[in-house]
Amino acid sequence: MDISLRWINKYLSPAGLSADEADQLLTQAGFPIEGITQRPDGDVVLDVEVTSNRGDCLSHIGCAREVAAMRAAGPRRELTMPTVREPTTAGKTRDALRLENHDHRACPLFTAHVVKGCAVGPSPAWLVEALESVGQRSINNVVDVTNFITLEFGNPCHVFDLDKLADNALIIRYANEGETLTTLDGKPRTLKATDLVVADAERATSLAGVIGGQDSEVDASTTDVVFEMATWDPVTIRTAARRLGIRTDAGYRFERGVHPASIKLAARRAVALLCELTGGVCQGEPLSTGDPIPDLLTVNMRPSRAAALLGKSIPVSDLIALLRDLEIQTEQISEDELQCVIPPHRLDLTREIDLIEEIARGLGLDAVRSSDTLAIRPRPLQASERAMREVARVLTGFGFYETVTFSFVSPAEAAVFLPCGKSTVEVDDDRRKAEPTLRPSVIPGLLGCRRSNRDAGNKQPGGMRLFEVAQKFMQTSDHQSIEERSLALVLDVPIAGKKAKDTDLQTGIRQMRGVLDALVRSMFGPAVTIRIVPAEPDSKAWHPRAFARLEAAIGTHPAVTIACFGLLSEDALRAFDLDAPVAAAEIALDALIAPFPPLAVAERLPSYPSIERDLSLVVAESVSWAQIESMVDDLNIDRMAGCSFVGTFRDPKIGSGAKSVTIRLAFRDADRTLRHEEVDPQIERVTAAAQEQLGATIRV
Amino acid sequence: MFGASLEHNCIYDPLMREELEQIQEAGLAELASLTSGEDLERWRVAYLGSKGRLKAVMGGMKDVPKAEKPAVGQLVNAVKQALESAFEAKQASGAASSGDRLLLDMTEPGIVESHAIGRQHIITRVRDELVDVFGRMGFDVAHGPELEDDEHNFVNLNIPPEHPAREPIDNFYVDDPMTTERPRMLRTQTSTVQIRTMVDAAKKGWGPPMKIVSPGRVYRPDTVDATHSFMFHQIEGLYIDRGVSMIDLKSTLMQFARAFFSEDAEVRLRPSFFPFTEPSAEFDMMIALKPDEPAKWIELGGCGMVDPSVLEACGIDAEEWTGFAFGFGIERIAMGKYGVPDIRMLYENDLRFLEQI
Repeated sequence: MDISLRWINKYLSPAGLSADEADQLLTQAGFPIEGITQRPDGDVVLDVEVTSNRGDCLSHIGCAREVAAMRAAGPRRELTMPTVREPTTAGKTRDALRLENHDHRACPLFTAHVVKGCAVGPSPAWLVEALESVGQRSINNVVDVTNFITLEFGNPCHVFDLDKLADNALIIRYANEGETLTTLDGKPRTLKATDLVVADAERATSLAGVIGGQDSEVDASTTDVVFEMATWDPVTIRTAARRLGIRTDAGYRFERGVHPASIKLAARRAVALLCELTGGVCQGEPLSTGDPIPDLLTVNMRPSRAAALLGKSIPVSDLIALLRDLEIQTEQISEDELQCVIPPHRLDLTREIDLIEEIARGLGLDAVRSSDTLAIRPRPLQASERAMREVARVLTGFGFYETVTFSFVSPAEAAVFLPCGKSTVEVDDDRRKAEPTLRPSVIPGLLGCRRSNRDAGNKQPGGMRLFEVAQKFMQTSDHQSIEERSLALVLDVPIAGKKAKDTDLQTGIRQMRGVLDALVRSMFGPAVTIRIVPAEPDSKAWHPRAFARLEAAIGTHPAVTIACFGLLSEDALRAFDLDAPVAAAEIALDALIAPFPPLAVAERLPSYPSIERDLSLVVAESVSWAQIESMVDDLNIDRMAGCSFVGTFRDPKIGSGAKSVTIRLAFRDADRTLRHEEVDPQIERVTAAAQEQLGATIRV
Repeated sequence: MFGASLEHNCIYDPLMREELEQIQEAGLAELASLTSGEDLERWRVAYLGSKGRLKAVMGGMKDVPKAEKPAVGQLVNAVKQALESAFEAKQASGAASSGDRLLLDMTEPGIVESHAIGRQHIITRVRDELVDVFGRMGFDVAHGPELEDDEHNFVNLNIPPEHPAREPIDNFYVDDPMTTERPRMLRTQTSTVQIRTMVDAAKKGWGPPMKIVSPGRVYRPDTVDATHSFMFHQIEGLYIDRGVSMIDLKSTLMQFARAFFSEDAEVRLRPSFFPFTEPSAEFDMMIALKPDEPAKWIELGGCGMVDPSVLEACGIDAEEWTGFAFGFGIERIAMGKYGVPDIRMLYENDLRFLEQI
């Protein structure tokens, strides 16, 4: 809200409020100054930020009232309202105009004066200057008065050319569905039955509380005008203005509420000015329609409650004085109760707490002291927070950089990552035209970063590794939102030669597996059992030959699916213009960190060394490491201390469709050092089982 | 090679027979058109996989009368064999392969290998620092969803239907607020987490007292420039207890400023308006964001005493309990502290930038 310093001083006594003083007092009152502009004519314009609860301060008198209410070091300035000269009157308004109000809820009060014999022409210099000081253009002496009054009192108002109103009538009614109205901005509007209009006997003449109509506009030929000032239901106004995309000062003001009791004075002031500037004659008392003006609201406040919230006991006499400064008539009605009558311009004051806020404002918030110490209840360290730090420590240790990317993707990108059976969630917003979709996976964000870093020529030793923790969004067919906290990882598959081979892909998978194992162990502890379940991909994002779920279990607890991982599909890479293969994982974060901190129990270390034997098993390509491992496990071999993977070897000599997998078996006795020949029978059991169960031959 | 078996005419269900014929025809036609190894595998999953089309038909076997089971089974097998042998032939022809065809083993153990140390994003690191300082002051961290609804983002925060904050111009709505009863939207503030925590505490009886901070992403359709983004991070605090006053609010902000920024930091409150707090204030801190700069007043965020209507809406007796809330942006602090000239750099994730700070 632009406030002219010259203009606001007209309502202050003594005048002479400076820009600095206005800045200080209005800031103290809760209206910070966003900008100060020096005008060529010496005036200063303040850009006052008015909060949405204080529509009454969208005017010069409103701001002057706040200045007058604040206590400061400088001179105390009183609010002086403009003097209203009674206009010359003749005739009766009723003879010139007919008023009808079809909905008192939407229009609690509508008043109309008729002024006849107006000479429409230029405005006097003071009026032109006042309007221009706050960035408004002078139009003519009639229209300028309405704009001036809006800026002076904060009561938007409107003038109609009486001769252009069919049957000399103004009717407040809802529009007929499809009714048209050309508004003052020259645009034709098609109205709906929920839009409130002011109509004449035949057609809508203005969109109530928002904008006037062109057909009844005052122009140079106008002689008789209807001056209208009213108040409207904020929701009705806002709904119509929003639907039609019309933002006006009047609509902005009415959306914040105008009390019917504020109309009389502002309207009289306006009509007096109209008569004075145009030479017109007012046709007597105004017509009005609506509900009776409601009594002023009374709100009780307990001084003890104010003391409890402000942390400070304030003498009752001071409370009363503070409230009276704000034009709130206050009486003490019992030891701990003040009765407060709320002035009509303060629609925001309806509850005790509202008055306590007024006390705080009046005292100034600098009066709230602060303490050097705080009383606290010590809390245990939060496991979820500690877990997240540990996750980050593991990942950065593996060379991962964390990214923060936007939650929106394009529909095409989303389609690749959307699991089957789910649909995407889109925001309904023009400003996110190309990327309206909430991402169903966090991996697209990482791939976008992978691309932009490649384009910037950034390289990392061993390939780029990125992670992000963010929400992913989907919905079910019946629009139930699904939102999960996800940890996504991508890593470049290391390529040995010029082109990625399957052996490279296998290495990429194993690198990702290494990271996942480390993460799961850090959260679940060393006792965790990790199982990899190769599966068919649940979206087009994954390579159909390289997708698996990772399950983790501790002790006898049922296994929990923690992550899915694998290689990304050509579709996914293509969507981000990437060529080189990428391994990725998406981790259900809450499931991952739930067991943290893990239970861990120290055990005595073995006293004697173990001995190790390697075995190379030639098996069909289709035999997985998991099968070999569980085959060995199931044998429950005596004194075996572990079975580990050494490597997979492929060679034409082995034959196509087959591979050689080398495993390392470790044996240990608790009481002595084992000799090699002592484990021969165990090795034979393994080789026999491998031949029998996996069709393996032993390579020597 | 399959025609004969399809001509079997004592099939229990002519529809089943038709379906099998259709699967076979479509499958073979599709297979012939495939050119990539990935597509080939996808085809295998779609037709022969454990959730494939053939399996789906076989699920219907249990309804087949016992006497006819052998005939139907025979037919299914014939289709299966036809598809399998065509698949193998296609695979062997190499017409649809991506080089060597060894099977990738998803179960091989992981490789623990690192060539570098990575880095957490500066937003996370600043968030963690904030959470640490508030943690020392007794605040726990609370989380909540980002895709919210009207009830949590507006109604319980005392933002009535006519309030301008609900304008679509200021919100990312998922559902049309004019036509949907409880429209969904992306949260515009993390106060929604406070609402959810208060409701949960009141319902389950674990609080108040409660003392939480909620850091997280929020969304506002601002025009993007050097200091504005349509998505950013906020941290909000909430403390509800018996006898909490504005002195506690100001003291908490002051102690935070001194612990986080510098020992001589000052805090100033200016009256303001937020629908969910009353009295409401903006808070400024007299701080030097960077060590080599002189301290100056910086507008940091909003705060206030929790509005009694908000407490009541969450099921908390506002006569017995009072509390305060505050909130501010994380990017702002990160940018000030590390001299980041443009907020967009934070979301571009250029490694050269991430390594700098």
